[in-house]
Amino acid sequence: MRSKKWLGMLSSVGLPLLFGVVIFVLWQTQILHSWMGTDTITLPLPTRIGEIISQNNESIGSQIKMTLIVALGGLVAGSLLGYLIAVIATIFRKWGAGGLTIVSAFNAIPIVALAPVINNWTRDVSNEVSVRSTMAKIIVVTISCTAAMSVNAFRGLTELKPFSEDLMKSYAASKVTVFLKLRLPNSLPYVFTALRVSVPASVIGALVTEYFAEDTVGVGRQIRENIVKGQYPTAWAYIATACAIGIGMYIILMLVERAVLKRRRA
Amino acid sequence: MTNAKPAQKGFLPALKRFAHSKKMVTLVWILGIVVIWEIFAFIVAATKRTPVNVLPHLWEIIGSFFSDKKVTGKMTMIELIGTACGETLSRAGIGFLTGIVLGYILALLMNLSRVVEKIAFPYLMIIQMIPILGMAPIILSITGDINSARIVIAAILTFYPVSTNVLAGFRSVEREKHELMYSYAANKFQLYTKTLIPACIPYFFTGLKISAPMAITASILVDTLQGGNGLGCMLSQSLKGGMTRLVFWDIVLISAVIGILSFVLMGVIERLLCPYKRNRTSD
Amino acid sequence: MANENTEIMLDGIGMVYKDQGGNDVTALTNVTLDIKKGEFISLLGPSGCGKTTLLRIIADLLHPTSGKITVGGVSPREARLAQRYGIVFQSPVLYDWRTVRKNVMLPLEIMHVPKDEREDIADSMLEMVGLTNFANHYPNQLSGGMQQRVGIARALAIRPEILLMDEPFSALDEFTREKLHVDLLKIWRKTNKTIIFVTHNISESVFLSDRVCVLSPHPGRLSAVVDIDLPRPRTLELTDTQEFTELVSKVRNSFEGV
Repeated sequence: MRSKKWLGMLSSVGLPLLFGVVIFVLWQTQILHSWMGTDTITLPLPTRIGEIISQNNESIGSQIKMTLIVALGGLVAGSLLGYLIAVIATIFRKWGAGGLTIVSAFNAIPIVALAPVINNWTRDVSNEVSVRSTMAKIIVVTISCTAAMSVNAFRGLTELKPFSEDLMKSYAASKVTVFLKLRLPNSLPYVFTALRVSVPASVIGALVTEYFAEDTVGVGRQIRENIVKGQYPTAWAYIATACAIGIGMYIILMLVERAVLKRRRA
Repeated sequence: MTNAKPAQKGFLPALKRFAHSKKMVTLVWILGIVVIWEIFAFIVAATKRTPVNVLPHLWEIIGSFFSDKKVTGKMTMIELIGTACGETLSRAGIGFLTGIVLGYILALLMNLSRVVEKIAFPYLMIIQMIPILGMAPIILSITGDINSARIVIAAILTFYPVSTNVLAGFRSVEREKHELMYSYAANKFQLYTKTLIPACIPYFFTGLKISAPMAITASILVDTLQGGNGLGCMLSQSLKGGMTRLVFWDIVLISAVIGILSFVLMGVIERLLCPYKRNRTSD
Repeated sequence: MANENTEIMLDGIGMVYKDQGGNDVTALTNVTLDIKKGEFISLLGPSGCGKTTLLRIIADLLHPTSGKITVGGVSPREARLAQRYGIVFQSPVLYDWRTVRKNVMLPLEIMHVPKDEREDIADSMLEMVGLTNFANHYPNQLSGGMQQRVGIARALAIRPEILLMDEPFSALDEFTREKLHVDLLKIWRKTNKTIIFVTHNISESVFLSDRVCVLSPHPGRLSAVVDIDLPRPRTLELTDTQEFTELVSKVRNSFEGV
């Protein structure tokens, strides 16, 4: 019985790993290139990409910093704004719920299309290009993170366990107490549901707004710039970096979620 | 419920009912947004040198869409945007359909085989975390052709929400339903056609509602990377000053509308396929 | 003991499984029981007594770790493949996307019964459970009691010889449950099925059954079989009689170690 369990665990780690290794070998031996009809210039070998990363880790590091500022800044601002909207919608229930259907429709809007306009909005903020450009990028990421948080947090603040609101009423609890003791803790898991959507969205938002930004910095912009210049290995190094940022932020989110919601599951 | 008044007919009661309905709330919100937009547009018009670059009036945007003034050499705004829409949406649509088929097949295979599930599941998780849209430029250079790039990216973005949601749909079927089919001595094919596939339809549409607007966004974004006739190409040309700025605003508005419509359309199709959801008693 | 009148023969059935820590847990031990054709038998006991396990062994959903079981002279597996079982679960397990009528037709579709015949059978089953007027409704438009009736109609549609019912009425309110008791007995009389009825409700088991099999927990075992020789057809008035209450307390007193 015990050995069976081990075998199960081994296969769920080993099989995907094996698949990854097969892909790596196909890539390195250029079999992948012949299947996709491309060459080692557009799709450099993994070892070459690794080489570039290790050679340029300083400049890559500074680009990561620029992208992270935008992604995290927008994520925090958007999540706070979204939660605030949810709280307001909870207080004014009838009108709030209607407003949230509109907000959720924003999800379907290609926000990145707004990036160029927002550059115009922040033009007067500062004479420093990097400041106003960063701000414009953060605004775009903020907008793209708001909807998920407000819709989910509203559900968390209003979909309470049956009778829990009645129980609070029987204690003659004030609205503020109900909010702090009941609604706020109840919304916590929903906040993480929202973050699972908006953390990847913030990274994508940050990368894509960099395409349109005034300031030519950030991991996303480097992907594009290097492709335009024909420096594909460098572009791929930044793609690998972008993937690492996405995966890294998601893993951190999972760890935080596990730590915060630990007691609830038990 | 004996005290409930019978629904009155006539114009005034109907108006009253509408005033208390959800539609009314939504309408008021839309009006509110329009009003706020216009207030800012007036401020911008009064203070900026080129208000059209910052925030034009809504009527200017909508008016320009229907005006018969030529925007380029030959085409009016509506013709220009119409052809651009056709170009972008047809590629987004092909990618979307490809992604649906591939995503569904993968979910089926994962449910049928433990080995496939074990191999594919971690990668399906990872693909959600990595910024596919950020890779658009490189996909464009690998495919070397903007049309294929649009299709490929729309397909990738459609593929994983469909896959994960359909798989969740298969897994959501209660044990009793499996046991019921087992007690009927149903074969695997019958288990899928009679139980699992119909049961996952709502989950399938959850996936489609996520991916339809994404496929369109992606297609527009890919357009901006290269010249051509798509919506995104027109958008970047307008930004560079190749044609009036109103083209840009029209496209922003149109793409918002298309994004929302694609979401609504999935809901409508779902309702057509699942009449049992419509008949749910309201209380 | 076994003769041609025996439908199900259980001989020394035991069920041992491993828990998460790898320890042996005895769910059932040494259950020996003959169930006659057309008999209404209840498996009664508190949670953890193995009554559902026993039902699932008969249904071929579980395989016993010891003992022998035959159903109509063959193994449960063969009986299942011959589609001799109709199962009703605690929850109705209806298919949301099918109308009531199509829900009843589902097992017939799987058995490739021609369409006309399917419809005739479904209609007659719905008539039997009193849901003719709701044939074209969807399950979520029905009350809990009506949904469970659809479940029964569906189980009966394939004309099974044995109807296995796993606490089918436990989620319903008392009024609905009593009505369904009377209806179930009527259906049973009309169709002559062998019914195996799992429950934790003592008076329910006494009211319905020919025999009540009392199962006790830790480990799950058959501690008594009580014959219920109350006259049939039974009506709700029966529950007020002294014979009924005496049988209820006799059953109650036969539990061990609860």
